[in-house]
Amino acid sequence: MAISGRLVLLAAAGLAPVLLFPGWLTVLGVLLVLGVLILLDVLLAAALQQVSVERSAPANVTLGGTADSVLTVHNRGRRRLRAVVRDAWQPSAGAENPVQATEVPAGERRRLGVRLRPVRRGDLKAPHITVRSFGPLRLAARQKTVHAPGSLRVLPPFNSRRHLPSKLRLLRELDGKAAVQIRGAGTEFDSLRDYVRGDDVRSIDWRATARRSAVVVRTWRPERDRRVVIMLDTSRTAAARVNDEPRLDTGIEAALLLGVLAERGGDRVDFFAFDRRMRARAGTTAGGNLLGQLVQAAVPLQAELIELDWAQVPAQVRAVSAHRSLVVLLTALDGGAPEEGLIPMVTRLAQQHVVVVASVRDPLLGEMLQDRTTAAQVFRAAAAERALLEREAVGAQLRQLGVEVVDAEPHQLPPALADAYIRLKAAGRL
Amino acid sequence: MVAARRRKTGWMRRHRAGVLFGLALAVALAVVLAFQSTQQGDNQELSIRNPGPQGARAAAQILGAQGVTAEQTASFEETLAAARASRGRGSGSTVLVYDQRGFLAPERLRRLLAETDRLVVVSPRLATLTGLGSTIRQAGVVPGSEKTLQPECTVADAQAAGDISADGGFLYAGGTVCYGAGGSGRGLYASAEDGKLVVIGSTAVISNQFLAANGNAALTLRTLGSQGDLVWYLPGPGDLGGSPAPKTLAELAPAWSAFVAPWLIVVALFAVLWRGRRLGPLVFEPLPVVVKSAETAEGRARLYHEAHDVARAADTLRAGTVVRLASALRVGTAAGLSDVAGSDVAAAAARHLDRNAAEIQQLLQHRPATEGQLVRWAQELVRLEKEVQAR
Repeated sequence: MAISGRLVLLAAAGLAPVLLFPGWLTVLGVLLVLGVLILLDVLLAAALQQVSVERSAPANVTLGGTADSVLTVHNRGRRRLRAVVRDAWQPSAGAENPVQATEVPAGERRRLGVRLRPVRRGDLKAPHITVRSFGPLRLAARQKTVHAPGSLRVLPPFNSRRHLPSKLRLLRELDGKAAVQIRGAGTEFDSLRDYVRGDDVRSIDWRATARRSAVVVRTWRPERDRRVVIMLDTSRTAAARVNDEPRLDTGIEAALLLGVLAERGGDRVDFFAFDRRMRARAGTTAGGNLLGQLVQAAVPLQAELIELDWAQVPAQVRAVSAHRSLVVLLTALDGGAPEEGLIPMVTRLAQQHVVVVASVRDPLLGEMLQDRTTAAQVFRAAAAERALLEREAVGAQLRQLGVEVVDAEPHQLPPALADAYIRLKAAGRL
Repeated sequence: MVAARRRKTGWMRRHRAGVLFGLALAVALAVVLAFQSTQQGDNQELSIRNPGPQGARAAAQILGAQGVTAEQTASFEETLAAARASRGRGSGSTVLVYDQRGFLAPERLRRLLAETDRLVVVSPRLATLTGLGSTIRQAGVVPGSEKTLQPECTVADAQAAGDISADGGFLYAGGTVCYGAGGSGRGLYASAEDGKLVVIGSTAVISNQFLAANGNAALTLRTLGSQGDLVWYLPGPGDLGGSPAPKTLAELAPAWSAFVAPWLIVVALFAVLWRGRRLGPLVFEPLPVVVKSAETAEGRARLYHEAHDVARAADTLRAGTVVRLASALRVGTAAGLSDVAGSDVAAAAARHLDRNAAEIQQLLQHRPATEGQLVRWAQELVRLEKEVQAR
């Protein structure tokens, strides 16, 4: 049961008879007329028991894109349905026209498209649909809420995709396949070819040269089928917002870029998100499209307000890959006490694997450092300085252990991590 | 059965806040109503419903306990009706009149005197006394030096009562006079016409505040309690008589105006129902935890500031500058981290900038004492860094 704005206008118009024939009898009479009209309208409205509403689930959508949720209203009753329908999506689904008016003649069905422009990654829910059926006068309505759970999977945007072409070209140059004919770097024997001017004389294969009249050089190519293990930290430090983006989302972007790049580089990629237990897992071994798997694995991830269990990380890495691998830890360098968790664990990991620690640096700290006009600002600068020095100290300690440290601002982190991978691959350290 | 109970408890749980709020509102309403009903008092002077110092509730209650029913009236007609009713019941009536502002007209006063067995007038004005047409007339005030007054007369009530308080009393002459001050035929208590008319020149004698002092209570109770019924008459502006009250705004306005506001309220109620009905329940948004990353650094900055920890802030700023200078001058970050004194860095910077090493060393080693010095020194550090990075 609900009333419309028309009824309010009608009631306001009722002021006229009340003023023309003042008296409590008139007031009661007008009220009675209004009541009868409401009753009549509600009784003549289409019965909602015979109206069914269904939602066809929209497909996956990347963050920043749009999707359409389609409602089908079926009127099985004998009266015409004059309805206002609300598709109840959660606010972050960004429904542009969630409330729509429609008229469905008896026995027919109508479709309503609701445009969604989601503003957050994850599985967004729509628990119900509400239908309000007005009478012919549109003064009053019946209302019913139908339980109709729906869900929209919003994938991470992968904005760092734009870095992919340039990084892939770098990778191809490494491989010796690129248009720029430089000798492939790496340590794995690839093939023999004729010497051209400019080649390193150390790479001349004298035995092959002796068999032919021309000078022959060996070419090398980077190792293939190496393993890359990416660990994404989903503990409390991932909840920190840097430049309007949580650290977790920056980590996902970096993991996606690195994963796609490493797969094209011929390596096996394994991804897992971990805090105290495994939150998500994806990898080449499962077969199929790696990017799709990574994206699907990253969708439901949320930062948990718990401390990362560093002691478990080596075991988790071992479970994923028993061999020597490139282990990429997407975490924070300033998570309270790295000396207690991160550094001892990395010391253990670095004995068997090549370890890269990637972390987001807050550009706000750099700004705080520069503002030194008032006393309050100088104290802020000192606090920022301290935070940066602590990061620097942890970074230096990690580098001493032979660990590659990638410390960059949010938008720079994915390409910087990709560069680190390419550098390690070129140096043959994988 | 079980399902029904579960549904019921579910309803209770969902509407717990509403139910609690409603209960609290009901309790508050009950308390307010209870207070309203117990507190019937007013603050009119000499009112038997006034429990304050100026009131006369004590006297009325004591009289009530002795079987004299006191009834307070506010209009002349009421008073007459009450006096006639008590006469009709067969018990005599006493009427107490305290006409502070002189509202009563002379003919009304005379009718009152004729209709009652005893008329007690408290602190009457000149107009009241002339209106009554008795021989009693005003005779000044009690001298300030007098604290109490002796009866000094043959009236039984006064003799039984003994001394009474004299504060702020008026004196009257004529008739039988008691409690004279100065013995010149003037007194606080005067009675005339065989004791049918009694004038008491003081409100203090009857008031709650002084009733217990001296013989006040005895005089009051004996004077007012001689008959079975007591009508306590405090005239108000309504007793002035004369022309009827001027027409109010509501009477002048046209008939329909009375219905505008109620009907607008009805329309507003419809509007509330229209806007207040939601199109289905709300959908919850599970909000993830997101914290500003620099929050810890800012908190630490406030800690430094509130503690005025200039030394620690200076040490941190110095260390940061030394580390950055060391990396810019290729002295080695490790050296910068360990070289707290910064002498190597200062020397390198001096070579780089063609400046005096001791001067730069002094700048790096300066220890500011106040916040003002800290601000200036911090700015100089930034300038040095920019200089080194620019060349």
